[in-house]
Parts: sequence; structure tokens; C-alpha cells
Amino acid sequence: MGDSQYSFSLTTFSPSGKLVQIEYALMAVGSGQTSLGIKAANGVVIATEKKLPSILVDEASVQKIQPLTTNIGVVYSGMGPDFRVLVRKSRKQAQQYFRLYKEQIPVTQLVRETAAVMQEFTQSGGVRPFGVSLLVAGFDDDGPQLYQVDPSGSYFSWKASAMGKNVSNAKTFLEKRYTDDMELDDAVHTAILTLKEGFEGQISGKNIEIGIIGTDRNFRVLTPAEIDDYLAEVE
Amino acid sequence: MSKAVVDLPPKGGFSFDLCRRNEMLISKGVHPPSFRKTGTTIVGLVFKDGVILGADTRATEGPIVCDKNCEKIHYIAPNIYCCGAGTAADTEAVTDMVSSQLQLHRYHTGRESRVITALTLLKSHLFSYQGYVSAALVLGGVDITGPHLHTIYPHGSTDTLPFATMGSGSLAAMAVFESKFREGLTREEGIELVCEAICSGIFNDLGSGSNVDVCVITKGHKEYLRNHQMPNPRTYVSSKGYTFPKGLTEVLTTKITPLKEKVEVIEGNDAMEE
Repeated sequence: MGDSQYSFSLTTFSPSGKLVQIEYALMAVGSGQTSLGIKAANGVVIATEKKLPSILVDEASVQKIQPLTTNIGVVYSGMGPDFRVLVRKSRKQAQQYFRLYKEQIPVTQLVRETAAVMQEFTQSGGVRPFGVSLLVAGFDDDGPQLYQVDPSGSYFSWKASAMGKNVSNAKTFLEKRYTDDMELDDAVHTAILTLKEGFEGQISGKNIEIGIIGTDRNFRVLTPAEIDDYLAEVE
Repeated sequence: MSKAVVDLPPKGGFSFDLCRRNEMLISKGVHPPSFRKTGTTIVGLVFKDGVILGADTRATEGPIVCDKNCEKIHYIAPNIYCCGAGTAADTEAVTDMVSSQLQLHRYHTGRESRVITALTLLKSHLFSYQGYVSAALVLGGVDITGPHLHTIYPHGSTDTLPFATMGSGSLAAMAVFESKFREGLTREEGIELVCEAICSGIFNDLGSGSNVDVCVITKGHKEYLRNHQMPNPRTYVSSKGYTFPKGLTEVLTTKITPLKEKVEVIEGNDAMEE
């Protein structure tokens, strides 16, 4: 295919109209660990696998789900270091918005600004696109919201979505299980079951991470003990 | 002969370019607009379990009280508060800025903010503006290393003290502290002493007045007591209201200026048509 001749330069379109570097970035996302998000009627839950390369790694030091503001959290699939950079930039943008308007940044605005950053890196010289897709979960005056942001900079609002290795199975599972009037607790159970579907090995509070936000508008990451409680309920 | 003037790139901090022009304007009699000062009494003290901050609530614009109940105790972090004296805009802006920076720092480190961090951020900012940011602050909070109380002067110097006062009423308040402060006060005693010091400023200093705000910070807990004491209530309010019947005001002179008559445009018959 003539495309491969255009695959090295980010800023050159291929004859088929694609930016091949972005396609490759999506492949990097697709080979990352599974993560998913579900929007319930009264909150949002995001979850991810936390498979560490060796049992010697101190799993308490790894936190894949990060808060961006008190009412917005984010999880990723893909390259961890790229995620760290985006989280840092997004947090700063949220603070700048607050300094300027004295209003907590709405979820859509933060998603838009983060997506703009990701798009910049697809149109500049000497840089590569971010190798992550983000799932942003937030609760503001417009209610609970879940957004997915891709390396190209495009973003979508989802009722439920998954990314990473097991994406097709996970999405099929979610399509079957999702209902519009789900409560937050049901959503957490569904999230755990979806992760369990493609999970290699024994699932426990130590090798998955779950973040929730409810009507209290306070995003928090569940402790391993809380996850184990939910797991026990699901069994 | 080569020109001795070199164009330097703009550096951070205060730009003194317009100072000469300002001095020239003043010499010609053009005065800069006055700004709203807080002309204040602010105090802080360390007690047994933490820190208590206190402030009055009067904001002045020269001789006029422009805000009878303003808030001078500013939020910096969940465990750190800051009282501000001096120019109101400066204290607001500088405390908001440092509060935002500390929030980012908390996200990045995953830890509670320390008072010394807020102190360093504030003093470096004030120093780089060489005293032109007219903010005199009393910063207090409780962090992992214990309770802390600091004062910060507009030029950027700081003091660490067990009890402190700033503002135009600082001498009145300090007199109270110097005679009654002791180590290891309880919460009630501490609040009473702070209120006494602020009241001393309210009643003896013209730049301070109205009510007393108090903020108590202990390990893991804070209490913002807005208008904890209101020693200056409006004593007489007429329940009947006031009426001003017509004819009560004496007319001294009358001058009537007729408005210009509207100009009537008479439609010319096809004036423009050739």
C-alpha cells in the first residue's frame, strides 16, 4: 500500500487521506491495558486493569486513575508517561480557567482544552502524537458526563465506553448490560464484570483501579479494600 | 562614538519604565487615582491545638468607608488561611494566585500543603515587585510539621512568631497581645484574646471598624467564624421610614432652559431627482 511511504512523517497526509502516525498512535492505545467508563443516572465510574510488569513493583506507588479537579477524574489506555504530561497540562488549564472566571471549569471545557493540546501535537514539527486515549469522568451542573479523547484530538461523549486490549469484547458486554437508569453502585458492578471478562489471572483490589464520582461531585479513587468489597458483592 | 544604550530583553518583575513619567505628571499637578486600602487590624496567634487568625471588616478609600463588612481572611489551602492588610486588590490577587499554585502542587505531590510553601511563594512574589504590591499579610495554618504563624511585609521580608499583628490598628492590637498572651492557650481563651485585640483596633484606630472575623485552624479541621462578634450594630433604624412631602425644600432660584426645537424636515418635491 502506498500509505507506508507516508507513515514516517506526521505532518504529511497519505494518498488515502489519513495521517498514518495517528493510526499508529491508536495502535499504541489498542495494545495498552483495558480501561472503561460507565455513566450512571447519578454518577460516573471509570476503571482500569493495573497489571504490573513484576510482583516486585510496589503497586501502591502506581496510580493510573488521576483527579484533574475536585469533580473531574481521568483514566487512560496506552503510554503512561504521555498520560502524566497530559494530566499535568489539564490540571494547569483547569486552574487557569478558575483564576480567570472564578468558576469551576465545566467538564466539556476541560475536555475541549485537553483535546486541543493533543491536536497541537498532530500538527507541529518535531513532535509525535500522544500515545494515549483518555476517558474523562466528571459531574458538574450539566450532570454526570463521560468523554473519550483520542490521540488525534477528537472527543466524544459516551454513555459507556472501553479502550485498550479487550475493547471489542468489553464494548459488546457493555452494550448488552447498559441501561439508562442505572445507579452508580450498579455501574460499578457492571464495570467490574466487564473487566473480569478479559482478565488474565485472579482479579482483586490490587490489580484493578476504580474511580467514581457521584452527586456529591467529589471524584475519588476507591481503596483496594473498597474494591474487594465490591468484588465480593459481584461474586 | 558608539551609543551606550543597549536594548535589554524584558525580564520578569516590575517594569520601572513609567516611573519617570509618573513623577513628571505629579510635578505638573496630575495626581494618580487613590486606591481602596484595607486600613486594617489583622492578628494571629498560636494556641495549644493550632492557630487562630482574626481581622476587622472595614475597607477604606481615603477618609470614606467603602465596605462595612468585607472579608479579610483569605483561603489559601484547606489547612492554611491568610489575613491581608494594605491595598485590597493586591491582597486578593496575591492570595488567589498562591492558592491556585498550591492546589496544583497538591495534585502533583498528593500531599497536604505546608505553610512554609505558601510563605515562600508569597514572599518571592512580593520581593520581585520590590514593595509595589502593597500587601501586608498574616499567614497561619497547621500542617504535618505542626502549627505555624508568619507575617509577610510588602517588600518580601517575613517573621515567624507565636503572635502577630499587622495593619493600621496593629499597635492597638499588639498592646493587648503583649499584656495578655501566654503559651498554651485553650481554644476559648485564644478566641477571646483575638477578639479583644481586634476590638482594640476597631475602637482605637480609624482605619479599622465594624465586625470581628475569626478563623480557627487545628490539625485536620478548620472553622471560619464570619462576623463572630458584631460590636457596631446600627442602633437606630426608624420603623416608620422617612417621608419627604412636597414643598418641604425651600426654592432659592429658578432657571428654565428651553430645549432646542426639533428641526422639521420639509419634504422637497423631488429635490434629489434630476
